[in-house]
Amino acid sequence: MKLNLFVSLLTLVSFECNADIDVKKIAGDLSKDYKNETLWKMASPDQVINLMGQPMVAPKPKNTETSLIHVTAVHDGKWIVFRMKWKDSEVSESEKLATFSDAVALQFPIKNNEVPPPIMMGGKDDPVHLFHWKYQYQVDAKKGKKTIDQIYPNMTADMYPMDFKQKGNFKEASKDQKESFVGGTAAGNPQSFSKSGVDEIFAEGFGSSAVSDSHLAQGYGEWHNGEWTAYIARPLTYENGSKLLIGKKSHVAFAVWQGGKKEIGAIKSLTMMWTPFNILEK
Amino acid sequence: MAKVKNWQINREMDYPYDENRPKKQWAIVFDLNKCIACQTCTLACKTTWTSGKGQEYMFWNNVETKPYGSYPLAWDVKVLERLGHQEWEKKKPYYGKTIFEAAENHERVAHFAPEDQDWMYPNHGEDDCAGQVNKGDYISLQHDKWFFYLPRTCAHCTYPACLAACPRKAIYKRQEDGVVLIDQSRCKGYGECVKACPYKKSMYNAHTRISEKCIGCYPFVEQGYQPRCVTNCIGKIRIMGFINPPWKSRGSNPVDYLVHKTGLALPYYPQLGLEPNIYYIPPIHADREYLTQMFGPNVDSAIETYRKLKDDPIAQGLLVLMGSTDRIIYDFNVKNGFAYAYDEKGDEIINVPVTEQMYSRPAFDEKYGTSRNNTP
Repeated sequence: MKLNLFVSLLTLVSFECNADIDVKKIAGDLSKDYKNETLWKMASPDQVINLMGQPMVAPKPKNTETSLIHVTAVHDGKWIVFRMKWKDSEVSESEKLATFSDAVALQFPIKNNEVPPPIMMGGKDDPVHLFHWKYQYQVDAKKGKKTIDQIYPNMTADMYPMDFKQKGNFKEASKDQKESFVGGTAAGNPQSFSKSGVDEIFAEGFGSSAVSDSHLAQGYGEWHNGEWTAYIARPLTYENGSKLLIGKKSHVAFAVWQGGKKEIGAIKSLTMMWTPFNILEK
Repeated sequence: MAKVKNWQINREMDYPYDENRPKKQWAIVFDLNKCIACQTCTLACKTTWTSGKGQEYMFWNNVETKPYGSYPLAWDVKVLERLGHQEWEKKKPYYGKTIFEAAENHERVAHFAPEDQDWMYPNHGEDDCAGQVNKGDYISLQHDKWFFYLPRTCAHCTYPACLAACPRKAIYKRQEDGVVLIDQSRCKGYGECVKACPYKKSMYNAHTRISEKCIGCYPFVEQGYQPRCVTNCIGKIRIMGFINPPWKSRGSNPVDYLVHKTGLALPYYPQLGLEPNIYYIPPIHADREYLTQMFGPNVDSAIETYRKLKDDPIAQGLLVLMGSTDRIIYDFNVKNGFAYAYDEKGDEIINVPVTEQMYSRPAFDEKYGTSRNNTP
């Protein structure tokens, strides 16, 4: 059943669609100024890339929510920025229970740019470097991570452990002491901290993703009239990660989540084939 | 998919991971004939574990009224609806589908996804009686105006749906005591476990952005103490111990005695296929059909056995040991009108008279020159 599905999917996804992305070099400082429209006018035309609902492992989407993504990229010799556009009827945030954020992610090989690993999050000893932009992270960065009473204004809580409204004669507990009662925070889980915009993640196969400590990459997204335009900017080379070399070919894979359709984790639309891209010398 | 043995449905079934029973399995038995929904257990758990940020709506232990109550809303109705009508012939294995077997291609477990508002009405349906009580009605037994209270914690299932559903394997079942935990450092907050658990005991924390669940009070259990919800129960309706599968059952183990030896205590919604490890002595006056849907085909014999408790001094003794100590009782026996509880080493924890002794005191106390009042 799975083999038949894969074969029929291959015929749908024609190789011509995933033509190389030519990444032109532009003058400028992309680490600061990657949204500049003038810069993007000089980029190669958008490539139209096919996506499908993740078909390999449950939990899977029932439908392909995002079937196309338009992509182009530029670099300045030090940083590379990908600009992606896809259709989504609504903007989705993930503050409340059972809500999920719109997101897009890029996946790069680490060991061998020309012969990339299995596309489903890499393989054992053949890891991938992921850059995951979530709209919720952008909201966090702009407005600050909301507290529970901001998300649910009618809520009530008598007290939090060691965190009383009226302290009386008690010495105020330290931040660490208060946070020892907050599971994710106390365990140092990256999910529990305010985000800047893009998570940098390493993975060696399905289910193994781990958020890295690095916060170099940046991202930004804008939704207009039923379409997201998102940018992910990253240094060309990481000492312990993806190394993109000027004048060389590499590969990238894409994944998109529509939060409004309850997409999260493995429930997403993604490319089942690596997209080649060339980092041009000029 | 592996084939695993589920003794509650008396057959093999599909599960994503191999059978791997823990060395000891945490289990609680509840006597539903005694629960008064005082919610002390709920508050004990909340004060201990869920008073933190993001946990405001969480009740790892909750007590809901049946038939009309539920937390979150309609959890049992919805999962049964999703599973569809299934048959279970008395004295036969359950040949209907479990939630693992009913899973469609896109999911690991047949489930429904709760909305945030579903969690906001924990007292919905509380004390709502199954039938209308009209002016002029009077009680006669048997009657059809019933309701009962259902206190429930995470069941630390042998085949957890939460563990099966997690794409990151961030949920694990401890070998030492069978407690199921969400790794707070590995969880990424996908919420697959929240959707998958049919009992809805996995909960998303909007502050930490990851999910949490009842931890079985494992820090206490590790030290030989019963969970907070058990020891704080005013009505002494609960006992926590380590249950053995029926082929290793030990009659002197309180939980084995109640579940395997006497068949007094039954798992809830066993047809879902998780082999949950919380067991209930069914309420003897509630509707049998309703109880059978919830506890399986052995309801009638459990109730019959409970009604004959006056002829069973061992069971009586065990019931008075419930709530008599906060330590975990590994073995018990009843002799000469006393019930004895023993720890893992075999040392006596406590002994309790099966029948409370009667003391008579005269109305006027000569020694102190004062009267005794019958002060209620």
